[in-house]
Amino acid sequence: MSGEKNSNTAPVRDLTVKQGFKLSKFLVSWEMVLVYILILINIVLIASRPNLYFSSGTIQSIIQSGMDVCPLVLGMILILMLGDIDVSVAANMIFASMATGLCCQAGLPALAAVIIGILAGAACGMFNGVCVAYIGMPAVIVTIATSMLFRGIVKIVLDVNVLKQFPGFYTAIAWTNIAEIPLSLILFLIMGAGFVFLLQKSKFGRKLYIIGNNPTCAEYSGIDVKKTKLLVFVIMGAMCGVASIFFVGRMGGSVSSTMGTGYEMTAIAICVLGGVSTNGGKGKVYGPIIATLIMAFLTYTLGLLEVDANTRKIVTGFILIIAVLIPNVNKQLLANLKLKFIYKGNKNAEALNNRTLEEVKALKNTIAETRKDTSLSEPDKGVKIKKCEDKIASLQKKCKEQTAALLKEQREDERKAKERFAVK
Amino acid sequence: MSEYILELKDVVKTFGGVTALDGVHFQLKQGEIHALMGENGAGKSTFIKVITGVHQPDSGLMLLEREKVTLRSTEDSAKLGIAAIYQHVTAFPDLSVTENIFMGQEIKTKLGLYNWKLMTKRAKELIEPLSKNIDVSKPMSALSVAQQQLVEIAKALSRDARILIMDEPTASLSRKECEELYQITERLRDEGVSIIFITHKFEDMYRLATRVTVFRDSKYIGSWDVDKISNQKLIAAMVGRELTQMYPPKNAKIGETVLKVNNISKEGYFKNVSFDVRKGEILALTGLVGAGRTEVCQNIFGIMTPDSGSFEVEGKKVKINSPIDALKLGIGLLPEDRQAQGLVNELPIYQNVSSADMDKFIKAGKIDVEAEENKAIELCQKIQLKAKDISAPPSSLSGGNQQKVVFAKLLNCDLKVLILDEPTKGIDVGAKYSIYEIMNELTANGYAIIMVSSEMPEVLGMADRIVVMRNGRVAGQFETQGTTQEMILEASLKNEEGKES
Amino acid sequence: MGVKNKITVSKITESRNFGLLLGLAVLLILAAVITPSMYSLNSILNMLQNNAVYGLLAIGEMMIILTGGIDISIGATLSLSGVVCCRLMAENPGVPGAVWVLLALVIGGICGAFNGLLVGYFKMVPMIATLGTMYAFRGFSFLFSGGQWWFPHQFIDSYLAFATKRILGIPAILWILIAVFILAFLFLGYTTRGRRIYAIGTNRESSQVAGIKEEKVTFLAMVICGMLAGLSGMLYTANYATCSYSIGDAYEMTAIAICILGGVSITGGKGKVDGVVIGFLMMAVITYFISLLPGLSVWSDAIQGAIIIAAVALNIFTERSAEKRALKERGALI
Repeated sequence: MSGEKNSNTAPVRDLTVKQGFKLSKFLVSWEMVLVYILILINIVLIASRPNLYFSSGTIQSIIQSGMDVCPLVLGMILILMLGDIDVSVAANMIFASMATGLCCQAGLPALAAVIIGILAGAACGMFNGVCVAYIGMPAVIVTIATSMLFRGIVKIVLDVNVLKQFPGFYTAIAWTNIAEIPLSLILFLIMGAGFVFLLQKSKFGRKLYIIGNNPTCAEYSGIDVKKTKLLVFVIMGAMCGVASIFFVGRMGGSVSSTMGTGYEMTAIAICVLGGVSTNGGKGKVYGPIIATLIMAFLTYTLGLLEVDANTRKIVTGFILIIAVLIPNVNKQLLANLKLKFIYKGNKNAEALNNRTLEEVKALKNTIAETRKDTSLSEPDKGVKIKKCEDKIASLQKKCKEQTAALLKEQREDERKAKERFAVK
Repeated sequence: MSEYILELKDVVKTFGGVTALDGVHFQLKQGEIHALMGENGAGKSTFIKVITGVHQPDSGLMLLEREKVTLRSTEDSAKLGIAAIYQHVTAFPDLSVTENIFMGQEIKTKLGLYNWKLMTKRAKELIEPLSKNIDVSKPMSALSVAQQQLVEIAKALSRDARILIMDEPTASLSRKECEELYQITERLRDEGVSIIFITHKFEDMYRLATRVTVFRDSKYIGSWDVDKISNQKLIAAMVGRELTQMYPPKNAKIGETVLKVNNISKEGYFKNVSFDVRKGEILALTGLVGAGRTEVCQNIFGIMTPDSGSFEVEGKKVKINSPIDALKLGIGLLPEDRQAQGLVNELPIYQNVSSADMDKFIKAGKIDVEAEENKAIELCQKIQLKAKDISAPPSSLSGGNQQKVVFAKLLNCDLKVLILDEPTKGIDVGAKYSIYEIMNELTANGYAIIMVSSEMPEVLGMADRIVVMRNGRVAGQFETQGTTQEMILEASLKNEEGKES
Repeated sequence: MGVKNKITVSKITESRNFGLLLGLAVLLILAAVITPSMYSLNSILNMLQNNAVYGLLAIGEMMIILTGGIDISIGATLSLSGVVCCRLMAENPGVPGAVWVLLALVIGGICGAFNGLLVGYFKMVPMIATLGTMYAFRGFSFLFSGGQWWFPHQFIDSYLAFATKRILGIPAILWILIAVFILAFLFLGYTTRGRRIYAIGTNRESSQVAGIKEEKVTFLAMVICGMLAGLSGMLYTANYATCSYSIGDAYEMTAIAICILGGVSITGGKGKVDGVVIGFLMMAVITYFISLLPGLSVWSDAIQGAIIIAAVALNIFTERSAEKRALKERGALI
């Protein structure tokens, strides 16, 4: 009350950001953990198939095999950032492929066909966006429905036919290397850089973090939440159109209505593995980029180890679940579990044990110091150490007894409570 | 000693690292109405939840009729005859009145299925003496707040409650509804129910209670007989200091009208509201909770758009369709609920500060973080924010400092009019003072301030002019000079009875 | 004011069912005009029989949606239970059919329990958790099937009887469906556990105060939903006397569509079994209608998708207009 009243004389607080870059923190960041996982998978691969790994073209083809989802991953980061979800992306991608394919069939120039494909994707995204942002329907339901709708339209148009006319560079993007680096990877990294800028450097990205964490506050801060949401869905749609280039190229330049099922799942799994929270507002672009590579290497490794495609689905499913679960298993949860199971919910017992633990730690420090202390003679040291050790033992014993007494008391209370309330 | 039906001794409850109850005591006599008072955040709500078994205390003793009890859940407390009516009615809005009344103790047939027929009949019997026009088959959400509270009372009665806890039941009731509630409460007491009545209205306490207990900052301050303690002393106990020191001196010059609100109406919220605010002036918007004050502010800020009426900023007619428009016109809002509406707890302070106007930090399409941080530091130093540094999340700050972050966020924009909706709600006394200082400094710098407040002393201590709202309409305008609490109260209450049907 | 309110509230709920029934009638008349053969008792029974699993799945899904969640793994659960039952049945033809029903319930229950663990106790977002388990269950289903198909000659009669045997002229699968409808009606309307599902869906905070164990209720709902999905897996294979790991693909979508059509609120807490029954009938007629017209079968996905969107939009708009009316009523007091 005193300092605050005399505002004119109060010292100016230093509020500058004091903590700079810390290597120890960086090394255990989620992105770095992902890098370790990636390295680990590579080591497993080298150990199990050294000849194959070092033969030319292997790594390139591994990377290429995982690149067809990459545009979906990038778009999905933004969607998840909002706290929404889009499970229609695979259907949308096929829809966009169909649009391009039909244009090519009709004899339009390749560039026009590609642009029309991307626009078709964006239009589908816009439909999702209008439903979610402006009508206020839940994204899950809308995109489940539109995934049926978009794929359904493809089914109506194509029936069982396969579109085979696509621009020539589609396959080139998916299958060629430039200076030993897969072209698809280069494109992915360029797009990734664009998304890093968009999400982490630009105003638009900042808006997404705010909306994802607290949409009400975003509205009160003068952010057009609806428009931003719509825009994100449109970007997602356009990225589906871009994904169709990678995908159709990967499929050797053909598309049918049943292709690409499950891509939405892979894209979401990669994002979640990359540290993007499904609750919105948390995550960066780097994580999912590394996670895309992890997924490519993992799928390939499992394939090499003769694990078939469907079992890989199990793996993907569990990766998704585990990646979401890990952040939940933190210190607080462990402390709670300990409290619940060891101390039976008795906070007094917990406090007692923690206190004793600290005292014991202090005594142990004294012992260590005494050992190092050169000023004392050996027998003196021995006596002092013995004293401390005795004290530790007695402390621990006392703590144990008291804990037991506390727990007994609690059990007694519980029993009484049970009896009392069992009557009625 | 046996006169106490319920006694609590040295109750401690912590959540994570936060102490919500710090060794509090409480003694309830058989058949009395006992007022429990304290400012927001004093620990009253947690205290009830301990008595009702929602939370288990970390340590401490609870004696019911001198016998030690341990509550494991609300079921246990219900069986002992303890019932509570919470501040925010904790009903199930989609479920029927009947089901809400019998939640947790449903009547069943021999087959173990719900006996809806009997439950409906019993529910009607319980509700009828309290109110004639509640349909028990309606969902809870179709009832008014007062009616919902009556349902909660019926629920407590259905459980043969011996101890009834009422948590600020009068907070959002009209005067007539309050009177009805008083009568019901007294009737219950006469029937032998012991009642803990939590309130911050002195009126409630004087009307009903025989004894009063005060909590402050999670601690027990004391208990007194109502007729043996002076108003002044009670306030001192609640706030921990004398009232006269509460408000810093003003030195603002009042200039021309900045914002004029002409006859705005919004269906279901308010009708024909007009007022204006001048440069350097603090205009208080007061009245009971639910009188439409917050909604008026939200309409000025563009969260909602009024059905009719108009706004004038500096003499020019303007349209405000969204907060974006409002901010562009220089109108900012400090929202009532800073956690939900004002802050993003997951983002660092400096990003919160810049969030309402990022454009000024854009360089080549990129946010210039350094400029952003520097501006945030400048603003936060100006309002004396106490934080580790500006990269800390707002969740690490106290309530008062969180509010300052929201202030900094508004100051980052180029504003002329600040609307402050309950700026000191849930903030401790010391921090309140510094918020007042900020307000005075702002007006001295030419800002116009509209302050929504329910606290009468705050209104009289801070405002230059006062607009009182009642039931969605402006009930009176006053110059602060020469206005008393009684005048404002009268304006916010009068004619209420005639309006109700 | 009280009486007036009651009429409007009940008006909305009634008009919803009423509208659905009206739509149903229109569809039936249309179908009758186009293909008069539809109106034999047999073809109606046939239609219901082939759609019965959707009804079972929808009841299960309804319980999840009532808690405010969603489960998109039920199609995969159906597949897993179908495959396990078929394979074991084909390998042990001597075992009576009833055993497989129990096994199906157990498998479904385990799948549901796993979901319930993730969503209820580990607090995962239901959509993400069940997205993960959907792939896991489907993968296990493939593993267990070894990519194999089962054909009618491998099925024993007592297995098939659970779907196709006619009792009083009505196929057994429909008797089971009716039983499930009635049980669900009693469970959700008249038992404590059932009402708790509504309670946590309508207000989680109040549930906590009322001492309702949210985790347990969510877990229970997911187990029941899993069991129903497991049961429908067995019945599906018994009905068609074929099985492979790919059965039940996207069935969760149809189940969700039925719930939404039947007026179950996607935010939880609102929805009734009778609405879902009507939703089921409507969906059955629509799918049947589509299958009747040559060349229309490719439209089925798109139509279903469009129906879901329209139904959700309709739900939202009715809720909004109800809010507006409430505001107007309040406005009259000012």
